[in-house]
Amino acid sequence: MAVELKQVSVAYGEQGALRRVSLRVERGEFVFVVGATGAGKSTLFKLLYGELRPTEGEVWVLGAPVHALKPRELPFLRRQMGIVPQDYPLLPRKTVWENIAYGLRAIGYNESAVRQRVAQVLALVGLNEQARQLPSQLSGGEAQRAAIARAIANNPPLLIADEPTANLDPDTSWEIIELLMRINLRGATVIVSTHNRTIVDRACQRVVAMDRGQILSDVPRGGYPIELDRLYASVLL
Amino acid sequence: MIDRVRFVLQETWESLLRNATMQAAAISTACIALILLGGAGMALYKLDAAAQALPSHFEAEVFLKMSATREQALQLQAALQARPEIASVRLTPREVAWEEQKQKLAADVNLADIPNPLPDKLTVRVRDPQQLPAVAERIQQSPLVDEVIDSRAELQTVLSLSRLVRWVGLGAGGLLLLASLILIYNTVRLTIFSRQREVRVMALVGATLRSIRLPFVLEGMTQGLVGGALAATLTLLAAAFLSDYMTSQWAFLRDLPPGMPPSAVLIGLPALGALMGGLCAWWATLRYVRI
Repeated sequence: MAVELKQVSVAYGEQGALRRVSLRVERGEFVFVVGATGAGKSTLFKLLYGELRPTEGEVWVLGAPVHALKPRELPFLRRQMGIVPQDYPLLPRKTVWENIAYGLRAIGYNESAVRQRVAQVLALVGLNEQARQLPSQLSGGEAQRAAIARAIANNPPLLIADEPTANLDPDTSWEIIELLMRINLRGATVIVSTHNRTIVDRACQRVVAMDRGQILSDVPRGGYPIELDRLYASVLL
Repeated sequence: MIDRVRFVLQETWESLLRNATMQAAAISTACIALILLGGAGMALYKLDAAAQALPSHFEAEVFLKMSATREQALQLQAALQARPEIASVRLTPREVAWEEQKQKLAADVNLADIPNPLPDKLTVRVRDPQQLPAVAERIQQSPLVDEVIDSRAELQTVLSLSRLVRWVGLGAGGLLLLASLILIYNTVRLTIFSRQREVRVMALVGATLRSIRLPFVLEGMTQGLVGGALAATLTLLAAAFLSDYMTSQWAFLRDLPPGMPPSAVLIGLPALGALMGGLCAWWATLRYVRI
């Protein structure tokens, strides 16, 4: 099991950001989490990498009880997760190469291992030519690929990407999703949040739909039930 | 391991380069505070050494009554010399003292016609300086003795001065040190905010809290260390200048024991600065660096 949420709630003050959410994701799965802004997608992701604690319920990731981990234990779980957050994607004063290397060096990789891994992930995400460019010199799609490269540099078994296609045109969005599916085919579990209907339709992967802190539907890979159509009408763009 | 150290040092260096004005403010305040503390420490050390050394420098001067004859003076000298606690007794005959006095004042006054007003004087040196007050007390009881002058008054002056320096120096230095600690805390806090992206990236890739906080702690330590090193240099230069000036003004100061060794100041102030800076920065990271 890659991820399991058991009756998880998160409350901000009196408002509930998540209400009794249960979810299981097997190892090797590709899962879209869809929903409008404020549906609870980011809250769900923050729970997975321990940036938020559930008010009640249990969060298990790669066999570890995230809800009960001590702060000093959390980093070691995060090293098994690639995280592409919605905010702070890249460090603006560092080149693409340095951005990817930075994450590896921060967790103790030596220089030769850093050089080797950075070269590998740059090739995987197709950014060899942009390696020496600053984030300000990249297009939106290239910047997002660089952020994904940094997240997978450590070769993690689980990749979590929060809105990686936000503000990207349809073609570039699809390139990003294709990249994520390639990473999934190499064995990593991938969980992606989005509110882009086109790429969800096209990818034909499992879709978990959220609204107002609850899971409305959980459609398996290849399925396309009526509920998803209704959901699109109400919560997706 | 070397790669790890290099990464931490690079991060520290980048932290130091951000907010240069704040860094300068933190370093200069730490420097001023440590100058005051260091200066007070050096002055106290010197005064304490002087207080310890004073009794051996100041012997008791015993002035005999004008009615005492030379024979009585010699008898008293012999009697005192025989006492085990007394090391030496030197007699200065009144006529010798008067001659010296006349020569000394010859340029200003003519004392040739004035009758000698000075008594015979015995200069008593004791073996143990601590016994001087008791010995002086005993000598005072002799019917031949008019007055005994010992160094108790001077000792009291030095001790009072020492107390004054302690309270003023440590009080002002302490307050400034507190201000510099708050400034270092604030500088590190601002650096943490300005490096929020790096902190977040490190946290998300799984860097430990300790390794995220370490560059900021080193930044605080560097501020304290640089402030301390500047303070040590300036304090030693000021002490050397003051020492030259004061000994040229008051010759007796040359007899005082040497002050605090410069190596103690050169090591002590930067070490104190680094320790305080590191603690402050650690405190700031505890509050503002979270994963």
